[in-house]
This record gives sequence, C-alpha cells and structure tokens, in this order.
Amino acid sequence: MKYTFLIPFLLLIPVLILQMTVIPFLSFNGISPDLILILLVFYTIRNNQMYGTIIGFIFGGICDLAFGTILGSTMIAKTLSGFIAGYFSSENKIDSYLTPINFSLIIFLVGIIDNSIFSFFSSFNLSENFISSLLTNTIISSIYTSFISILVITSIPKRRLFE
Amino acid sequence: MSKFLHHFWQNFKEYLILIFLIIISLYLITLDSSPKTQKIRAIVFGSLSIINSVISDVIEFENVKAENERLRATNADLMLQLSKLRKDALLIDELKNSLNLKDTSKFQLISSRVISRFSNSSQETVTINSGRKSGVEIGMPVINGKGLVGIIFSVSDDFAVVKTLRNNTLNLTVKSERTGEHGVLKWKSNSLRIINVPKTYQIKKGDRIVVSELSSIVPIVVPIGVANSLENIETGIFNEIVVLPFVDFNKVEYVFVVPVVSSKQIRDLELNLLKKFK
Repeated sequence: MKYTFLIPFLLLIPVLILQMTVIPFLSFNGISPDLILILLVFYTIRNNQMYGTIIGFIFGGICDLAFGTILGSTMIAKTLSGFIAGYFSSENKIDSYLTPINFSLIIFLVGIIDNSIFSFFSSFNLSENFISSLLTNTIISSIYTSFISILVITSIPKRRLFE
Repeated sequence: MSKFLHHFWQNFKEYLILIFLIIISLYLITLDSSPKTQKIRAIVFGSLSIINSVISDVIEFENVKAENERLRATNADLMLQLSKLRKDALLIDELKNSLNLKDTSKFQLISSRVISRFSNSSQETVTINSGRKSGVEIGMPVINGKGLVGIIFSVSDDFAVVKTLRNNTLNLTVKSERTGEHGVLKWKSNSLRIINVPKTYQIKKGDRIVVSELSSIVPIVVPIGVANSLENIETGIFNEIVVLPFVDFNKVEYVFVVPVVSSKQIRDLELNLLKKFK
C-alpha cells in the first residue's frame, strides 16, 4: 500500500511506448495528444502538489532523454504542469475533479501551460508571431489532449478511480 | 532561527521545491549537447527502442502485403530505368577517368526502418533500427528515395535518433539548383523556410532546392524540396522562401543512413584560418 507512489513510474514506460509508437498515427500537422501529461495530471490530482511537481520533473527528464528534445525543456514544462495541476488536488474535491468534464478542463488548462513553456524553451525564437503560434499549436494540441483525456478517464473503472 | 526556518519550509515547501527543480532544469539545458548527456540519452532511448521495435514490427506486418505489391511494380519500373542509367554511368566513368576526378558517389548505404517517432510543432525526431554496430555515427545524413530526411543526433549500439528537417535546432546550408544561390534552411512557423534571403535573389516558385556543397553538416548534395512561395516581402531587406519538402515526414518508414560525416580536416583548417585572423 505504501508503495502506491511508485505506480506512475511503472505506468510511465508503457505510456512512453504508446506515445512513440501508436500516437504518431493519431497526429496531424505535428499535433498529437500528450498521454504523459494525462498520466501526470491524474496522479497529481490523486496525491498532492509537491508530488505532482516532483513526478513532473522526473517524467520531463525521461521524456527529454527518450524523445531527443533539448534536455531540460520538457523537464521545466512538466514540472510547472505538475505544480499547476497540484492546485486541483484537494482531498475533498477529488470526486468532482476526476469527472470526465472537469478532468478534461484541467488537462486543457495544464496543457496550454505545458505546451507554451515547452515551445518557449525548445525554440528560443521570439521573432515568430507568438499569438498565431499559440493558437495553432498550443491550443489545438491542448484541446486534442483534453479530448483524449475524456476517453482515458471514462475507461477507468470508478472503483479504481478513487481507491 | 530554526523555528523560523521550519515554519518557512512548512508554508512554502511547494514553492521552494518548484524553484529548486526549475533551476536544475535550466542548468541541464546548458548541458544538452555534452558527451555525458549523449551517453545517458543513448542508454535511455536504446532500452526503449528495443520494445518499440517489437511493437513497430507488429504494426508493420499488416502493411507488408500491400507494400510488396507496390514494390514489385516499382522494381519493374526501376529495372527499365537502371538499364538506361548503366549506359550513362559508363559514359560518366569514362569522362571522369579522362578528367582524373575522384569518385565520391559510392556510399554503402545503411538501410534502416523507423521504429518510433516523436513530433510536436517545433521538434521532430525519429528512432531507426540501426546503430553503432551497423556503422552509424552522430552527424551522418539520413535519406530516403525522395531526399534528405535528417541527421543522426544520438546513437546507441542498435538504434539511432534522427533529427528530421522538421526540427528548429537544425540549420542547413542549401542552394537553388537553377540559380546556385545559397541560403540557410530552417524549420520555422510549421514550414521549412530559407531564411534571410536577400531581395536581390532570383529564386522562383518551383525551383529545386538541394543541400549546398558548402554545408558543414551534410557533406553530400541531396535534394530537399521545391521553392513554394516568398514570405515577409514587405518588411526588412530579406525575404523568406517557403520550401515544400520532397519527403513526406509523416509517412517515412524506410530510410538509408549515408555513412559519411562532414570532414573534420576541412573544419580544422577553417578554424585555424579563423584563429589567424583573430
């Protein structure tokens, strides 16, 4: 029971593999859902803000090494995502935050922050039109991830969702 | 004092941890291309790639039948082209011999399959199933039948990560085949662009863009795409040319690594020359 905090790390490996092998078939124009973000937000809501910040940091580091992105860029994005998601980790409201609609809205909000920070640190290009970049990549990508998160959260049995 | 610190930690521990982790991440950004990072990267993606490769094999199996049919037709077509090219090759060899030129076109291409892919709006990488054991090294160009796919970025024993052209950290010197004008190709605003092109350049829509022989990254001339449109015409003294790549990066499955890295000798000579002028 006390090792439950390790579950997200065990789940990270199959999720990473899914992200690299199956998700590319669902992507269009480089926009694809971020399963790692869904995993991070889910376990942050179930635990607490500090836990979310730390697993975000570790998940980000592993993603940077596995995907070949600039080391540290996903780390910062996921650390901040875990921190923001931590604001929704109240024990009294966990039932309401893990309903499909609320969960997808949290994913959308965290997704925007995650994508914006990642884009900023991975491209270092301020000369581009920031608003159009935000619209085309960040928001569409976050909507896509939040849509997938509805499918994920509804597929988890209620009994396991709150255990 | 200790009571104050304890109280401070209890109240602000989440923020303190966040700041600490962000500082570490920012520090790690500076270590991105260090050899130690490359080693760790190779171990991590190498281990993941073994599993990815198995899954990718299963997914691929479904497509093999249709692919075989298509390849048979292509084979017949290529056979006809080959007989024509053989004639031309003999003629070229003859001319080269008479001019005493070295043959630089014979590369033992390393064939590979894409087993996984990561893409977002600014960076795209693919993992291929050839690594150090097959002779793959960092910096080698990766091509397919249509043109340049990318550059080897990280290598483990059996796998390698390729930075595709759809990666904003890759800048490549290219030229227009028709006019011979050079420029720097970059992935920007979700398209491939030749940036900072002087307005006096004569590159037109439809011109073939190839890797320049001046490129310090890709030492061979490989096609990249065609010039599609001019952008940013009204402001500044430079244009940007949007290039439509020949390679469909979403559908790349089989690639070839060209076992050649840009000449260290040339680079050293150029650096020495720069030092002299300083």
